[in-house]
Amino acid sequence: MDAVTYPNESVIEFIQKYMIPLRVAFDAQPLSTDFNLKWTPTLITLDADGKEHQRTVGFLPPEELIPSLMLGIAKSYFDREKFSEALSMLEKLLKDYPKSDSAPEAVYLRGVCRYKSTHDPKPLKGAYEQLQVNYPLSEWTKRAYPYRLL
Amino acid sequence: MGKTIIWETKMDVAIARAKAENKHVLLDFFNPG
Repeated sequence: MDAVTYPNESVIEFIQKYMIPLRVAFDAQPLSTDFNLKWTPTLITLDADGKEHQRTVGFLPPEELIPSLMLGIAKSYFDREKFSEALSMLEKLLKDYPKSDSAPEAVYLRGVCRYKSTHDPKPLKGAYEQLQVNYPLSEWTKRAYPYRLL
Repeated sequence: MGKTIIWETKMDVAIARAKAENKHVLLDFFNPG
């Protein structure tokens, strides 16, 4: 991460704009125990109350780290039912990083956000249809499979 | 924009900044080697 990802200009700009970066050693207590740390690098997205909303384990290149952080931020908003903010971040993710590993989950979560904010089930079916076309081998396409019947 | 990431090292400082700046926290557990 230090050699490739963190020096990347786009990564630096994204983190400066959206996040407070906090770095601690894997054995730092009490955080290591509090977060059940088992391996490094482990990257966790927290809200401003310190609540965890996403974690990844292992190296991520710049073109995967940024959408992963976008997804973590979107999940934070989703978990707190701030659907408009979640949708804004998901749209940005899908516009800027449509080929990233985070994109299929973003399509799924976008459908759920739209459903939960409107109570209209059509976005769920739409999410499945988009996943089937654009990410047919993704686990998120499988998870959305029941929505084809809506 | 700066050229490097300026990391916080204390959780309470990071949380206080996140609240003040309306941002999320990226917590990176790393192996200093």
